[in-house]
Amino acid sequence: MDLQTTALRQLKNRREGFSLEQPFYIDQDYFKLDMETIWYRDWLFMGHDCEIPRAGNYFTVQVGDYPVVIVRGKDQVIRAFHNTCRHRGHRVCTQDKGASAKLVCPYHQWTYDLDGSLVFARQMGENFDKADFGLKTAHCESVAGYIFICLANEAPDFAPVRASIEPYMAPHRLSEAKVAHKTTIIEKGNWKLVWENNRECYHCAGNHPELCRTYPEAPTATGVQGAGDDPFIADHWARCEAAGLPSTFKMDPSGQFRTARMPLIQDAESYTMSGKRAVKKPLSADVPISHIGTMLLFHYPTTWNHILGDHAISFRVLPISAEETAVTTTWLVNKDAVEGVDYDLEELTHVWTMTNDQDRSIVEENAFGIRSPAYEPGPYSVDHEGGVMQFVEWYSNFMIERLQGDKARLSAVA
Amino acid sequence: MNIAVNPYRHVDEMHPWSDREHLLECVAVTPEAPDVMTFTFKPNKPNLWFRYQPGQFVTLEIPAEPEPVMRTYTLSSSPSRPYTVAVTVKAQADSIGTRWMFDNLKPGMALKAFGPLGDFSYARHPGKKYLFVSAGSGITPMMSMTRDMSDRAPDSDITFLNCARSPDDIIFRWELEAKAREMPHLTLGFIVEQVSRGQLWSGLKGRIDKAKIALLAPDFLERTVFCCGPAPFMATVREALEGAGFDMKNYHEEAFQPVKPEPLVVVADHADGEQPTKVKFAMSGKDGLCAPGHTVLQAARAAGVRIGAACESGLCGTCKVMKLSGEVEMDHNGGILDDEIDEGYILACCSRPKGDIEIEA
Repeated sequence: MDLQTTALRQLKNRREGFSLEQPFYIDQDYFKLDMETIWYRDWLFMGHDCEIPRAGNYFTVQVGDYPVVIVRGKDQVIRAFHNTCRHRGHRVCTQDKGASAKLVCPYHQWTYDLDGSLVFARQMGENFDKADFGLKTAHCESVAGYIFICLANEAPDFAPVRASIEPYMAPHRLSEAKVAHKTTIIEKGNWKLVWENNRECYHCAGNHPELCRTYPEAPTATGVQGAGDDPFIADHWARCEAAGLPSTFKMDPSGQFRTARMPLIQDAESYTMSGKRAVKKPLSADVPISHIGTMLLFHYPTTWNHILGDHAISFRVLPISAEETAVTTTWLVNKDAVEGVDYDLEELTHVWTMTNDQDRSIVEENAFGIRSPAYEPGPYSVDHEGGVMQFVEWYSNFMIERLQGDKARLSAVA
Repeated sequence: MNIAVNPYRHVDEMHPWSDREHLLECVAVTPEAPDVMTFTFKPNKPNLWFRYQPGQFVTLEIPAEPEPVMRTYTLSSSPSRPYTVAVTVKAQADSIGTRWMFDNLKPGMALKAFGPLGDFSYARHPGKKYLFVSAGSGITPMMSMTRDMSDRAPDSDITFLNCARSPDDIIFRWELEAKAREMPHLTLGFIVEQVSRGQLWSGLKGRIDKAKIALLAPDFLERTVFCCGPAPFMATVREALEGAGFDMKNYHEEAFQPVKPEPLVVVADHADGEQPTKVKFAMSGKDGLCAPGHTVLQAARAAGVRIGAACESGLCGTCKVMKLSGEVEMDHNGGILDDEIDEGYILACCSRPKGDIEIEA
């Protein structure tokens, strides 16, 4: 039996409410299957428009086997290109980020315009047509300051994502923000373990003393059900919506993305040790009230987010191998906020720097344990781990549908 | 059945040669006089023709050992015959680049060239009548212009004076004498310093001065003057004309001097008395010169400073360098961001100094 069939069988016979079988977390072939089935087909959050504010600004990213460059054009349109020279494949942009009038391959200086068209290739003969060798594009969408790409030939419809998340995000004017700090950590664990850890706060009390000063552990706030029945949350939504901030829990029917505005503990306004705002200048002038809590957005498989009154934090998940995942955290503040004047960087970043490191440790220990031959799938807490169950459900559904689809296609031609 | 491929094209069916894309392939080496050779080139690709103005120069990259050198030569050929170009060069005792060409350049070999460039042309400074005054191989731009006029306007009025060491050293003598038969208003005047025993010489002897100019070109005050030769020679001509009340706005000169072996400076042809500007290369600790009309990149190459470059048309940005002081005129093709320009960066390939500059290279 081939790998696809084995994985499909395991997923279809999955014990509901239990974690996945061992190979889904540690096996390199299963990892490849994840990449091909999920990562190379879905919309992926890559970064923020405000990271590339001017024409010629770019940043690069590695998605599995695909190096990608995302660049703002002279027409201000943000585009994504496969970062592989059409000459001999050298990476065209080799830096994490930069600014360049043209994209020039360092190998032989093949030169591409910011729209990807090849404009110079030295001495390639008379029959060489530059028009045939532009950079290959990837699908790219920018919504409310977030840049998403899709590597598939045919991308899933982005319109539902835009329609759903834009109203929640727009008031925070993140496309006009600035990056105050950005870190990337490598967690030695499968990307699904990173997500499973993120999707519950069952672990918070014992692991995140800093975060728990401000962030509620209640599953209604962190999970995917019961939020509206929580009077504390219902009050919060009513107050925020009255101020023009879309707030209620909203999840796509596929389970792939969700928005909701959740209150923080008591009087807390920000993820600081004091709970007070870390940034004097509000993130957005369009938010008329204080104590708006945190606007939560997740979009599988790449991003979860917290958008507060004074700053926003985005998280980007990128798998490196079956047992390694890069997590990039970006702190955004009002573009006019001045470090050392309007905010103290250490105060702004302390809680999530600690939390990230604690999560890294959890994920790595989790991965360690799963490697044991004695590991077998265990039950999630229905009370606390509804979010994890939802994530695994999403993963399982997407994998099954696509693996079956592929099988169906193959059998049709066989 | 034989299908003959006819390579023949009319010039209007062909494309102009470009120094960005095409090399020059040597097709002929012709001795002209003692230590003087003409090297004739065609494009290294078919279906190309040369567009330039008579009197302009090219810069050749000569693969001499141990370092390639850049040397600038006036074209002796005429743009009226656009299928080839030629340079006519005299080998000085201490030359490197020219000596390499004498010893190594053969038909079939290709050289990289830059240009044509230059302002020293009757196309730029037209007059009713011309006086061409040259010494030694300073004759080459005059020859290019005369050849061009003989094809375009054979009744042009030219008084052509050339000074040489001996009758044998007069370059293009026989061709000029032939042209003088075809061109009714081409007047020749040769002045030589020495005549060997037994050699017939009916022309003037000695060095050029006001009297000899007046003798050979009595109406010189009415003529547009082009002068090319060693600096002392040109100074003499200039003083003679000024002393005679000549309107110097009708005087154009081209510094023609042998290239000094070190430093490797492109000594280009200087039109209208323009002087080369100094280019200081901060990281290399070298000083160079940039001829008028030349780019910072050309100056760098001449000074032996390597700056990476690819498209050489202001597009790819490979030659981006920080300018530490001075002003340049930059004519780029989108290969540099406004922010980078604000920070002080320039593209060396398309920046021409407006005075002395210093760059970080």
